[in-house]
Formats: sequence, structure tokens, C-alpha cells
Amino acid sequence: MTHAKIVTRLIELLESLVASVENFDQETALVGDAGLESIQVIEYLCEVEDDFDIVIDEEALSYVNTVGDLAETILKINLGKSS
Amino acid sequence: MSLFEKFSQARALEQALMEMPINPTGTIISEVVSASEAIIGGQLKIMAGTNNYLGLTFDADCVAAGQQALLEAGTGTTGSRMANGTYQQHLDLETEIAEFFDFSHGMVFSTGYSANIGMLTALLNTEDSVLIDSEGHASLFDGCRMSGAKIYRFKHNDPEGLRKRLSRLGEAGKDALIVVEGLYSVRGDCAPLKEYVDVKNEFGSYLMVDEAHSLGLYGENGRGLAEDQGVSDEVDFVVGTFSKSLGSIGGFCVSNHPELSLIRYASRPYIFTASPSPSVIATTRQALKKIKNCPELREIVWSNAQLLHSGLSQLGFQIGADVSPVIGIPFEDREVALTYWQNLFNKGVYTNLILPPAAPDGGSLIRCSVTAAHSKEQIRVILDAFDAIKNG
Repeated sequence: MTHAKIVTRLIELLESLVASVENFDQETALVGDAGLESIQVIEYLCEVEDDFDIVIDEEALSYVNTVGDLAETILKINLGKSS
Repeated sequence: MSLFEKFSQARALEQALMEMPINPTGTIISEVVSASEAIIGGQLKIMAGTNNYLGLTFDADCVAAGQQALLEAGTGTTGSRMANGTYQQHLDLETEIAEFFDFSHGMVFSTGYSANIGMLTALLNTEDSVLIDSEGHASLFDGCRMSGAKIYRFKHNDPEGLRKRLSRLGEAGKDALIVVEGLYSVRGDCAPLKEYVDVKNEFGSYLMVDEAHSLGLYGENGRGLAEDQGVSDEVDFVVGTFSKSLGSIGGFCVSNHPELSLIRYASRPYIFTASPSPSVIATTRQALKKIKNCPELREIVWSNAQLLHSGLSQLGFQIGADVSPVIGIPFEDREVALTYWQNLFNKGVYTNLILPPAAPDGGSLIRCSVTAAHSKEQIRVILDAFDAIKNG
């Protein structure tokens, strides 16, 4: 799965949590722009983990600010799984 | 950047709180009248925001035990057990807390916070994985982070979410540590420990349960939620505190793993903190006896909990389904929560105000707790205050 496709899927997964994802892209910050509250971030990340069938540890998440960052993290985890 | 610039957010919060007639996070209790009443701001308040669940802080036997220990062993130990010696009473308490839980081994820490930090940082290192309920207490998260282990959160009270994550971890899941609480301290809901044990056994992982708020309240012998759900034998580590139902201060871990004794050589909060003082040990030991010998205290606190829970439900507050001595009343709007808290206070009821980010759902909460020391009349006053604010 490419970075772009992961970004698309991550934005789709945000749809259930926010009013509109119309202007979202890889630069969208999960907290600042998407407006997720702390509990929603946890819900969202759990949903992302289930959707991509992965687990993301807290340290990896500490580098995640935007949708693109999260896609990058998922890409790395998937690369690690396949290597 | 100045050293103190990072506190700009804290400064703004402090300023907002200081502008209130009384700062809810800086309540000064000028006199403790009893286990359920105190003087705050020159007025008598019913204390409906404590963790004094069994009302033992003024128990005559506990007070006498503390006084006796002060006379016999002095005010403090002045150092850590590793460097300055273990008092016989420390060992006695460790034996008694292990016996109380029907576990083989016990270890005592100076606070509940240091028990959690001390256990987690000793048990885990960078090679390990830990899976923790997303609403776990800060001390549990801090301990996990300080250990350097890989931390995976799962949704609050979600054994299936835990199972999925352990499954994805593969081999790493087998030795992983699962960390949950018994009774959660803000919303007052309980963990599905039986289901967690099933998951733990499926993967061969380890389970730590923090019974800080459930000790003394749940189970036939007051051992906590694991006893209540019939899974005590399946829990690898029970951690908790003496500062709630036992009305003292200190923390503990009990376990059937003989390696618990080795934690003493690896746990920095244990090694480098002054050991509990003699009076603290004495009151804790006496309070443990009370839990064992006075089951009627549990009956009173549960009766009070039922009364408050049903009263608040009838008033239309959106509270959790679990009846427990802790009730979290959620408010979407921080200002509404602040106003409620202030009005309750003005009507003579002290509760806890939990504001973001401390509230588990990102909103605001008023935390109300009852104890065995509350009279039915006091519970009525608390409910009348909520009623007057909501419907007045």
C-alpha cells in the first residue's frame, strides 16, 4: 500500500469522528486541524490499528502530528512486517 | 526560551481558577472535623470528594495504633530500607498484606504512586511490551514510560481490543504485561477482569491489576475486584495504595511470583525513598484488621453508594450504570461543570472537579464519592444540593 493510499484511507476513517473531511489531506494535523479531542484520538488510533491490522507503540505515535505522519508510521510498520 | 515559558498554559489555567471565589484545585481544608466533614473557607462542608471509603481516618483503634507507634518507634525512619535498615514492622506489614490477599509475597512502598512506578520500571525494560487500558492512572502510564518498554494502549474496558493487539504482537505478546485497574477512580466503573484473565491465559501474558480504589470495597473479604470476580489466583501482580480505604499512606504489590523479592534490588523508588514511618505502618496494619473484622463497613458504604447512585439517576444526571462509591457526573461544557461545583460548594458539599485534560473523555466531570462515614442524612443533603442546582 502506498503512502498516498494510506492517507486516503486514514481520512476516510476520520469521517465518523468529525463533521467534514472535505479539505483534509496529508498535511492535516489530527488535533489542531481535524479537531480531535484526546478521547477521540485514542478511538481513532484504535480504529486505524484494527483497519490496518497493526499495533502502533506510543513512542512511534510521539512523532505523529499530521495524517501524513501517521501514514508514514504505518508504512514503516508494514515494511517491518514484510521484511 | 526562558526556563519558565513552558508554563504559560499552566499560568492561564491558574489565573482562571484564581478568579473563582474558591479555587477548586487548591482547596484549603482548615480543619478536619470528622471522616465526613471539614471546615473549608470558614464553613462546615460535607466531604463528598474523598477516597476515605471505609471512613477509617478517625477510627479510634487506628488512631491509637498510630499514637502508640509514635511513642515506641518515633516519628520517622529517616531513610530507605536498603541503606538504613528495615523495621520489623515493615516486614510484618508485608506479611500481613500478602496474607490479606492470600498471595505468597508482599512488598511495601512509601506511596501508591511509587509502588506503580517502582513495580513497572523494575519489571519492564526496552525489550518488553506493555498493554495498558487507555484510562489507566497517570502513575501506571508514568511507570510504563519510564521503563522504556513498548507501550500499546487499548480502549477502556475492552478485552476484545486487548486480544486483537496481543494477537498482532505475535511472540512479543506472550511475555507482555497487561495493566488495568479494578475500580476506575474518576467515572467509578469496573474492569471486566474475568475477560482480561481469559485473554491473558490465551496468550500466556502477565496481568497487573491496580486495586487502589477497589481494596476494601469489593469481594467477600474486601480484597478487591479480582476477588469479587473470582479471578484472584489468575492475577500476577496486584498493586494498590494504603491511602484510600485504609486511610493511611503507602503502596504495595502482592504476587505469587517468588521473583517479587528481586524487585527490591531493581526498583529505584523502593531503593531511594525513605521507608514508611512507624505510625503509618501501625495505622495501616490496624486498618487492614478492620477490613477483615468489620464487614459491616462495606455494607454501609454500599448502602450509601446505592442511595446516591439512585438519587442522582432519578434527578436525571447521566451517570454510569455501575453502582460504586465513586460517581462521575459528566458535563460537556467546562463552565457548566465549574458552576455546578461552585454551587455545590456554596450549599455545603465538597466534591472533586475534574477538568480537561484530566477527565477521561476530554470533557469535564464532577466526581462525587461516598464513604461508610456518611450518614443517610448527609447523603440526602448531597442529593438535595444537586436537585436545587439542577431544578432550582
